[in-house]
Amino acid sequence: MNDPYKVLGVSPNASDDDIKKAYREQARKYHPDNYHDNPLSDLAQEKMKSINEAYDAIMRMRGGGSGNGFAGGGGQSYSGGGSGQFSQVRMAIQTGNLAQAEQLLNAATDRGAEWHFLMGSLAYRKGWLDQARQHINQAASMEPQNREYQTAAQQMNSGGFAYRGGMGNQGGVDMCDCCTALMCMNCLCR
Amino acid sequence: MFGYVIPVQQELKVKELDQFRAAYCGLCHSLQAHYGLSARFILNYDFTFLAILLSVGNEKVKYSNKRCIAHPLKKRKCCVGGDAFHQAAGFSVILTWWRLRDGVQDSGLFKGLSYRGAGLLLRRAYKKAAQDFPGFDTHCRARLEQLRILEQANSGELDQVADAFAGILSYAAHGIDEDKERTLMQLLYHTGRWIYLIDAYDDLEQDKQSGNFNPLVARFQVGEAGLTDTDRDWISTTLHHSANLITSAYNLLPAGAWRGILENIIYLGFPAVTERVLNGQFRRRWGRWERKDTNQ
Repeated sequence: MNDPYKVLGVSPNASDDDIKKAYREQARKYHPDNYHDNPLSDLAQEKMKSINEAYDAIMRMRGGGSGNGFAGGGGQSYSGGGSGQFSQVRMAIQTGNLAQAEQLLNAATDRGAEWHFLMGSLAYRKGWLDQARQHINQAASMEPQNREYQTAAQQMNSGGFAYRGGMGNQGGVDMCDCCTALMCMNCLCR
Repeated sequence: MFGYVIPVQQELKVKELDQFRAAYCGLCHSLQAHYGLSARFILNYDFTFLAILLSVGNEKVKYSNKRCIAHPLKKRKCCVGGDAFHQAAGFSVILTWWRLRDGVQDSGLFKGLSYRGAGLLLRRAYKKAAQDFPGFDTHCRARLEQLRILEQANSGELDQVADAFAGILSYAAHGIDEDKERTLMQLLYHTGRWIYLIDAYDDLEQDKQSGNFNPLVARFQVGEAGLTDTDRDWISTTLHHSANLITSAYNLLPAGAWRGILENIIYLGFPAVTERVLNGQFRRRWGRWERKDTNQ
């Protein structure tokens, strides 16, 4: 295993507080919510796992018991329900098989809200943000009571969010929005 | 390319500015060493950003002091970049060459002549670069051809048009070690998308008058008074969204020695340039930034 101090980027002589601070910062950086539906979300999850392990290891070595880190919400992107017809598409998008997802969606005859939502998700994975936003907004307006679509639309309309450390926050989203979105997603994951 | 990817200088530490200048000079020397004197004139900040990104992970950055045409009296500190800078130099030459060829095909006699002239200067450099990086050459040519077809059809499919260009940049990370490849490809894809769209916005007025293809004119209703506020907001959001995806990809890279300068460009530079181009406070001209109003 890698040196846990190196993973967190702190010196072995650092105080407990400094370690906690470094850990918090890294955890904010790699938090699953910064990588929601991002094609790199698996890499962020790995990072999150390794810093959690490093923090726990240091705390154990220092005799402080368990680290009580972020649980790191697992990144279940598509836990929201969906009809059987499109479950294959969801699976394909989730596993990164975009060609298959595209084929299935093009062949689909039912082009309701869920179709638009999935077209949007697919476009988003490709980095086609203009199309993604149009489809997801379409889905959200067709089914205004669907929270999965509303959350996604909110994310698209605000231009997403990324961690920038202490350096300004030009993400176009304030923390309140981010927390609301978090709470919504939490509900969906249950 | 165009020179939109720049750091916010006021926020740079002295040593970071030093390092950035050294990278810029290093790329320039690399261009001359591999592709001859004429290749130097294509140097710009976007390519410098590419050179830095490609050298991320090569922990030891070496420097030396060199004289050059632009600075004949005093030696300047510059990066000795090795493979990464060679690659960035080669890719820049290839991309510039094919864009010049497009220019020859697309414009009338007189403008076409100036593209031809520039092309002539770059011909030998291109041949050498294409030999060094045949994969990038083939890919770049195919993508620009795709782009040309979309432009001729006056396509309003913004993402598809931008994708043709973004795909060229992301290919620059092709074949880099596995860990970095996917991350860097995503980072470069959105950098390419952002550059293409911000350049389209910058050229909007000019293209509207001259009737040249502009993806934003094809996608939105652009009236006498220009874009509507709603459409401008829409474009702003999509640009910021790409900047956010650049950032989240960057956060997964071990930036090492380049961290300070890369964080400045990525965390601050992209959002700042987006705002200023959209506000009309800045315009690119001959590869340099021109300050339009003094309030900023």
